Amino acid sequence: MLKRRRLLFSLLAILPVIAIFAFVRVYPISEILRLSLHKWDILSKKKPFIGLRNFQELLGDRLFHEALFNTSIIAFGVLLITIPLSLVIAALIFHRTRSRFAAFYETAVFIPHVVSLVPAAMAWKWIFDARLGPLNAFLSIFGVKPMSWLFDPVLSIICVIVLCSWQALGFAVLIYLVGFKSLPVSVYEAAKLDGASGRQSFWHLSVPMLKPITLYVSVVTLVSAFNVYAQVYVLASDAQGAPGRQVRVLVLDMLENSFRNYRVGYAASEAVVLLAIVLLLTFVQFSLLRDKRAPR
Amino acid sequence: MMKLLSRPQLSAFSISGRQLLLVSAAGLGLAATAVSAQEIRVWSGYPELAPFYQHVAEGMAAEYPDLKVTVEAIALREHEKRVALGVTSGEAAEVIELATTIAARYLEGGLLNTPPADVTAFVKDPANFGEFFVNSASYDGTVYGMPLFRGQSALYYNTDMFAAAGLTEPPKTMADFDAYAEKLTQRDASGAPTVTGWSMRLSGGGSGIAEKFAINMWQHGGELIAPAGEGLWKSNFASEAGTATMKQYLHNLFDTKTVTVESPADADAFERGQTAMFIRESWVIGDIATKAPDLKYATATLPRGSIVSPGQLYVKAGADKEAAAWAFVLATQKPENLLWLLDNVGWLPNRSGLDFSAILAAKPGFEAYVNYPASYEFFTVPAIGPIDEIQTRAAAFLVEAFAKPELATDDTALKAFLENADKEINAILDREGLLGQ
Repeated sequence: MLKRRRLLFSLLAILPVIAIFAFVRVYPISEILRLSLHKWDILSKKKPFIGLRNFQELLGDRLFHEALFNTSIIAFGVLLITIPLSLVIAALIFHRTRSRFAAFYETAVFIPHVVSLVPAAMAWKWIFDARLGPLNAFLSIFGVKPMSWLFDPVLSIICVIVLCSWQALGFAVLIYLVGFKSLPVSVYEAAKLDGASGRQSFWHLSVPMLKPITLYVSVVTLVSAFNVYAQVYVLASDAQGAPGRQVRVLVLDMLENSFRNYRVGYAASEAVVLLAIVLLLTFVQFSLLRDKRAPR
Repeated sequence: MMKLLSRPQLSAFSISGRQLLLVSAAGLGLAATAVSAQEIRVWSGYPELAPFYQHVAEGMAAEYPDLKVTVEAIALREHEKRVALGVTSGEAAEVIELATTIAARYLEGGLLNTPPADVTAFVKDPANFGEFFVNSASYDGTVYGMPLFRGQSALYYNTDMFAAAGLTEPPKTMADFDAYAEKLTQRDASGAPTVTGWSMRLSGGGSGIAEKFAINMWQHGGELIAPAGEGLWKSNFASEAGTATMKQYLHNLFDTKTVTVESPADADAFERGQTAMFIRESWVIGDIATKAPDLKYATATLPRGSIVSPGQLYVKAGADKEAAAWAFVLATQKPENLLWLLDNVGWLPNRSGLDFSAILAAKPGFEAYVNYPASYEFFTVPAIGPIDEIQTRAAAFLVEAFAKPELATDDTALKAFLENADKEINAILDREGLLGQ
C-alpha cells in the first residue's frame, strides 16, 4: 500500500514537468510532422492533406540540396575544429590551474560564447573583408594575394565555420575543464610512478576517461551547428547589395519557404528532414562514444 | 508593356488639382465623424518613408485631435515576414503598405479589408489615377488598396567622372553601357577596379538581383517572366534577350572586368564615389541629398524603358478602427503630402494631377522619372502568388553564374545553364497552375 502511494506521489510530482515538456517539446514536433504532410500555405484557407508530396519535392529541390550540403559541411567542420581544439585548450588550462592567470585563461576562452552574436559576427565580417580586412592585410605580409573571403563559394563557408567554431569553443572548453577536474588524481599519480609522460597521460588516460564529456560536447556542438543561421545572416545577409555571398543553410531555407514563399508545410518537411538527420547523428555519436563497459 | 500616364495627363496636373483636393477633403470629412480617441499603427517596408507617414499624421492632428498614429517602418524583407505572421494571427497593423506583387497572395485569401465606397470612388476616379495604378490596387476587379508610390528606375551617373573620361552624355544603348563602363573604370596597379564603371547587382541574395537583371533584360527587349496566355507565364532566361543580358553581365565581370562581385555596390558606393554609374529608383535622390550633398551627378532615362513597382496602402482592421485607418490612407493623398513625399523622401507618388514643377526646378534629378520620352516603355513584375519565390530562385541562379567565368566564353554551357534555370522556374509556375506554353 505504502509502495503504491509512493509511486502515485512520484507520478504526481513529475506530472507538471512532463506536462511542460509535452507542451513545449512534444506538441511542436508533432505539429511539424502534421504540417509536413499538408499543403499548408500560411495565407490560404484550404490546407489539404498531400501525403509525402512535400518530401518528394525536396528530392528535386536544388536550393534545399545546396542548403543541406552547406549546413552539413558547416556542422561537421565546426565539430572537427571544436572538439580536438577545446580538449587541448582545456588540458593546457587545467595543467595551469595553480597559475595566477588561470582565471584569465578560462575567461578569455569563454568570452566569445557570451558575447552577443551580431556584434561579434560584424567584427568577423570586417576581419574577412576583401579590401579593408586585417586578415588579407596580414596574409599580404607573406606574399599571399588578397582573397574574397565572403564571396568565394568555398571560402565563404570556411568563414562561417571559423566564426561558429570560435563561438562554440568557449562552451566546449568549460565543459571539458569540469571533466578534467572530476578525473581521479590517483590514476595520474600511478601513471607517473609507472613512468608515463604528460603527453602519454593525456592520450591514454584523459582522452578515454573524458569520453562521456566528449559525447555530450560533440552532440551539443553538432546539433547547434546544424541550426546555424544568425552567423550566416550577418556575414552574408539578405540586405540589398550586401557585401557577401549568401551561404544558403537549412534554417535560412526554411524561413524563406515559410515567410517569403508562405509554404509552411514545405518548410515543415525540411524541418522533419533536419530533425531526422540530427537524431541519426546523435544516435551514431552515442553508439561510437558511449562507454560500453560502464554500468547501465 | 504599359503606359503610366499620357503626356497630356502629365501637363494637366495643375488644372485638376483643385477638384482633387475637394474630392479628398470630402472623403476625409466623411471619415472624420467616425474617428475619435483612436490609435492606429502603420507598417511600412521602407524606413525612409517613416517621416512621410509621420508628416501625414501631423497634418491630421487638427482634424483628428484624438487620433494617435504609430509608424513602424522596417527593412522590406523583415516587413514582409511580419505581415505574413501579423495578418494571419490577427496582430497586424491597421494600415499596411504592400507592393502589388506581395499583396496578391493576401487578396487571394480575402485577408485585407475592402475599402468604403468613398475610397473606392476616389481610387477609380480617372482624374486621380491612371488605369495601371487602379489595376495595381485591385484584385478581381475590386479595389482594395490606395495607390501611393512607385519604384521606377533611371540611370545615375557621376558627372565629374564622365567629364574626366571625356564622356559628354549618358549612354543611349546597352552597347554604350559596356563601352562607357570600360572608360569609367579606375584601376589600381594590379588592374583591379578601385572605382567600378557600372555597378551591377551581383551579390547579396534575395529577389533584388533578379529584379535588377530583369530591368537590364527589358533594355535588351525581353521579360524574365513573360506572359504566355491568359493568366499564364513562363520563364524566359534562355531567350535571345535573356542570353544577351547574361552575356553583358559576364562580359563586364570577366572580360573587361569593369566590376567585380566584391566591389562596393549600389547607392552607398555611388554616394562614396566608388562607382561611376548605376540604375536605381528615385529614392536615391533624397538619399544623396542627405548623405552626399556635394556629389556631382545627373540622372537619365534608360535605353528602352523602366520597371514600375507600385506600392499601395491596405487596411487590415476591425470595425472599431477601420474608419480611422481609411481616414489616414485618404490623408496620404493630399497633394501637399504627396509633393512632400517626392521632395523629402524621393519616392514617386502615383497620383495624377500633381504639380512637380517647383521640385523639378530645385532637384532636376527627378526629370528622368517624370519627363520621359513618348516612346518610353514600362513593364512590371507579374502580380502572381509565387513571384517572390521565382525571383529568389532566379537570383540563386544568377549568383551562381556570376561565379563561373567559363560561362563568358562557352556558349553551349551558357545555353544549358539558362535552360536549366528556366526549367526550375517553370516547375514553380507549373506547381501553381500558372505555366503557359
